[in-house]
Amino acid sequence: MSATAAGAAGVTGRVLNIQHFCTNDGPGIRTTVFLKGCTLRCAWCCNPESIRPKPELAFDVRKCIGEKECGLCLKECPEDALYVVEADGKVRVNWDLCTDCGKCVPACPTEALFQFGREMTVEEVLAEVEQDAAFYQESGGGLTLSGGECTLQPEFSAALLAEARRRGINTAIETAGNVPWDYFQQVLQHVDIVMHDHKLTDPGRHKRWAGVSNARILENFRRAYTTFPQTRFVARTPVIPGVNDDEEHIRSVLAFIRPYPNVVDYQLLPYHRYGEGKYGFLGRVYALKDFPSVPAETLRRLQGIIDEAFGRTKP
Amino acid sequence: MTQPVLRIAINIGSGLLPGLDLVVAGAALAADRLDLELVGIRDGYDGLLYPDRYPDGGLVPLRPAMVDNVGHGGSLIGTAARTDPFRVRVSTADHEVEEVDRSDDILAGLRAAGIGAVISIVGGSAVTGLHALSVAFKLNRKGVRTACIPKSIENEIAGVPQAFGYNSVLSHTAETLERIRIGARDVGRLAVVEVPGQHAGWLALQSGIAAMADAILLPEIPHDLAAVAGALALRERAGHRCALVVVAEGARSAVGAAPSPPAPPGGLRASLTPNADPDFGEGAHVMDRTGGLAETVATALQRLTDREVLPFSLGHLVRGGPPSVLDRQLGLSYGAAAVRALHAGEDGIMVSYRPPDLGSVPLRETLGRIRTVPADGALIQTARALGIALGDEGGAQP
Repeated sequence: MSATAAGAAGVTGRVLNIQHFCTNDGPGIRTTVFLKGCTLRCAWCCNPESIRPKPELAFDVRKCIGEKECGLCLKECPEDALYVVEADGKVRVNWDLCTDCGKCVPACPTEALFQFGREMTVEEVLAEVEQDAAFYQESGGGLTLSGGECTLQPEFSAALLAEARRRGINTAIETAGNVPWDYFQQVLQHVDIVMHDHKLTDPGRHKRWAGVSNARILENFRRAYTTFPQTRFVARTPVIPGVNDDEEHIRSVLAFIRPYPNVVDYQLLPYHRYGEGKYGFLGRVYALKDFPSVPAETLRRLQGIIDEAFGRTKP
Repeated sequence: MTQPVLRIAINIGSGLLPGLDLVVAGAALAADRLDLELVGIRDGYDGLLYPDRYPDGGLVPLRPAMVDNVGHGGSLIGTAARTDPFRVRVSTADHEVEEVDRSDDILAGLRAAGIGAVISIVGGSAVTGLHALSVAFKLNRKGVRTACIPKSIENEIAGVPQAFGYNSVLSHTAETLERIRIGARDVGRLAVVEVPGQHAGWLALQSGIAAMADAILLPEIPHDLAAVAGALALRERAGHRCALVVVAEGARSAVGAAPSPPAPPGGLRASLTPNADPDFGEGAHVMDRTGGLAETVATALQRLTDREVLPFSLGHLVRGGPPSVLDRQLGLSYGAAAVRALHAGEDGIMVSYRPPDLGSVPLRETLGRIRTVPADGALIQTARALGIALGDEGGAQP
């Protein structure tokens, strides 16, 4: 290992999870590494556990065996944030009093209480990623960094991606692009495929649904397309009913990306509610509770517009 | 020695209930009698955190003349939407979103306005539960002299037998249930109605008894729907025409209790990232969508009874309407009691009506506990005496 690589291998980042055998996060079979921390607050977020930068407590009441059988966590909490509901004898977390100190986690024998996020070195992550190296070669897969916002930890992400590339692993990221340009370009120079979100085109509506205007995001994307002409970009839109499931949005994204030949595709990600349960684990409120899913017909129609723009119209 | 309080602020945590303006009026009238000034903080703590949003200021002086015409609904000073002063969402100049602790700004704002104590009307939000109570507790720990007034739709606040607003919601719920029962009976259907009550079944039980339900399912008593179907069949045989099953939001099945869903490959943690397991988010104990339980119970009962079943969910419908007579006098009493408690030097308390006394409990005792329906209490005994099925009847066969 070179001196540079050895130094980079020790860089640490806040990792949420490493997920093997992913088929939706880029070409082939991939290992997706989710990093913690995000600068947006999209109402439909399916990874709420990734939003805050620091490790945080989560609780799955189904796994709690109750105060009578156990009750160990109640003695550990310095904030009196844990309590028992008489109806089922199980513990609950008062999320307002919890400070995410994590002292209750080792006390819980059933892992009902657990923590999202841990510090890992580049080498530790790569050791896990390399377990599936054979599959990457067979399938044309590799490593995908996701989040949260993976470019929010630029030193770690850049070191991880550079080292993966050095070891012959294809690299991809999923990003919303809402970071300073310095961060963005620091990471992007080590990436083969950039999957990036065009959530909403109108700055005001972007602010309403994702927390901030998209001005910096669009500026970053424009600069990225021209600064990294050899990198493949895949634009994506999470299609949210009543928010961005309209032709106008799709057409404006197409108008934005089509001048750049290295934006090779535009994909629609239909809204799903898989993340909803996790809001319960974290004691947070899911804003889109009761939202319907996107009708298949809508998706077909929008996909047709994209296919036409990319010259893929079926005869 | 405690400093005498001259100026008191009042605010309301999230969750509208009928007649909140009466609580504010009670405080205003009592403050006037004690030569204290009362100001309202608009929309929870927003009036202090974002004064620029309010052309007339984030603080509203509340004088007796202002509160003459109350009791028609509304809250007079607004309720907190979801602002938590300990975790305020801000957009930075760099277009990034983050949450910051602005509780010190609240303390500074109160000091600058010469406010020596705060009355917070807290509890009873369908969305955030007892969040506002915890916020009041934390601010009290930071030095804000505090008296809380309990409001709740579930009546689950520990140490408080009668939270403000519960009686009005109970009346509306019972009336609605009665209408549904009559309608369902007329067309020979069985109505399954979900009512608020995540942890405590007071509302389901009391409204169900009042509306002469045939079965009531509570969070406190795990139920077996086969037993419910059996009990309904027995009632039918005895000449009743069963038409109404009331289900609290938090009711739980005893059959296969706590069914651990099959562990997804890689364990729980692996399932907590997207696309890992499409079924995961629809699992047994996630945030059930409103009405989800009514549908589930109705479908199961239809299968067990071979009767056509109508699911309903009352949810927000029962929060509206005028306050009940009991809540009118309770609201005014609670408002006045909080002012008197602060004037008498009390701090860190919640006023609580325990007939015949109107006293207070330490805030600490209201946190970390939920007031649930006692399994052998008078209301449960009443329900059983009336032949209402609670889902734990053994031996009943459909």
